[in-house]
Amino acid sequence: MLDVGRHPNISLLAYSEVESVKGRAGDFKVTVRRKRRYVEEDRCTGCGACTEKCPTIVPDAFNQGLGNRKAIYSYFAQGIPSTHTIDPDFCRQIKGKKCGICEKTCQAKAINFDQKDRIIELNVGAVILAAGYDVFDPSMIPEFRYAQITNVVTALEFERLLSASGPTAGHLDRPSDRAVAAEIERMEKEITKSQRMLEKFEKKYEEASAQFYDNFQKSRFQDDEDRLKWAEKYASHRAIVDSLDALKEKTASFTVAKRLAFIQCVGSRDFRFYPFCSGYCCMHSIKEAIIAQEHEPETTSTIFGMDIRAVGKGFEEYKVRGGNHSNISYVRGRVSEIMEGADHNPVVIYEDTRERQVKNEAFDMVILATACVPTKGIVDLANIFGIELDAYNFIKTDPLSPVDTTVPGIFVCGCAQSPMDVPESVAQASSAAERAAEIVAQADVEEAVAL
Amino acid sequence: MMTKTNDVLIVGGGIAGIQASLDLAEMGIRVHLVEKLPSIGGKMAQLDKTFPTNDCAI
Repeated sequence: MLDVGRHPNISLLAYSEVESVKGRAGDFKVTVRRKRRYVEEDRCTGCGACTEKCPTIVPDAFNQGLGNRKAIYSYFAQGIPSTHTIDPDFCRQIKGKKCGICEKTCQAKAINFDQKDRIIELNVGAVILAAGYDVFDPSMIPEFRYAQITNVVTALEFERLLSASGPTAGHLDRPSDRAVAAEIERMEKEITKSQRMLEKFEKKYEEASAQFYDNFQKSRFQDDEDRLKWAEKYASHRAIVDSLDALKEKTASFTVAKRLAFIQCVGSRDFRFYPFCSGYCCMHSIKEAIIAQEHEPETTSTIFGMDIRAVGKGFEEYKVRGGNHSNISYVRGRVSEIMEGADHNPVVIYEDTRERQVKNEAFDMVILATACVPTKGIVDLANIFGIELDAYNFIKTDPLSPVDTTVPGIFVCGCAQSPMDVPESVAQASSAAERAAEIVAQADVEEAVAL
Repeated sequence: MMTKTNDVLIVGGGIAGIQASLDLAEMGIRVHLVEKLPSIGGKMAQLDKTFPTNDCAI
């Protein structure tokens, strides 16, 4: 990634979108909208002082919403370019409230609330579409109760939980425990706030709140409006303190997730959704189980699937190694339902087809190997470039020319073409680069001949 | 005479877009890499490690 930012032949147009395309192979005219960041790219040094001071907290998309970021942010720590961006949906200043703290903090004077989108025109010989994919939304499968049971997560969410740079710094804290911890933090803030308010009353009337409340309940000062407010405040304060105490008791049962279940083919190989095989998820689940066991040696994982498709160089060996050294057991069978058991533990109900028995088992966490589905913006992109899509909305190609789209001079690589893993994406990208180079070289030759 | 250009446009800055950009740039071809998010990296940047070697993704 760093190489892309530094290479003299690459002009990086991040936070930008293609608006329109005209022309044909060897001569495309492309309009690109550079969306405003409210931060000047050539001034921002990426120091992060603004992020530190920004008062607005926003769920972090890079961490799949599992962590938080500020309204002015860099997309992720090592992101290229490191230019910060203001989120206009959340920024107080842009929403019309008084703020502008980032502007005062920025020593490089990079913040510009008056920045406008810029339209730039490019003249190119060839185009490569590497638009990527989306993760299947598992809440479409009601029996897995993805949105209802907090300890049921997607593979990509689990990836962020495992990551040292993720919201838990790589500790496998159960999401239900994290939710309780976040609630405790919120309540503590609220208590400090109401404490301050009560202190004001205490000072004014020179009486401790508890004592005043006792008297108040003995029907004194009932018609004093100010004291009525005090009483209300104290009552709500007591209620929060009591519920906080109850929550704090729960922290005793906090555990690191050690019993993991991986469910394969969530959305793929399923005729209700996508009949195709997403290809990489079997290996992805094995990898996550191996890494989890590396973090916490007592971790055991069960992978539920119709079959494990370990097709690729070194993949089968990786699968066997996971079984032998990383406490992974593979169960052949589809999961029919996930229920919520005691202490938010998901209970998986499945048929073990080897033993021909319907069983159920409780886990600390369930990870759904969600399908690779066409990205949301692909239809618009196809319309802009005038290319055809296949039945699922992946970019249409011919089996014998897998990187050529239906328009000459426009090529495709990666999961925009069909689901594939990282090594395959890289191979296809190099192939698309060669095809694009052929077009560009031809244009060069024709130009030379014409001269 | 029609103006022909020898630049290439790449849409998407994930692992595929990054690899294609670097290959073309190394060939001496000028590349314009368009990414809709604030930083490139795509889904791969979100991965902790990659199989089958458990190498770091970034």
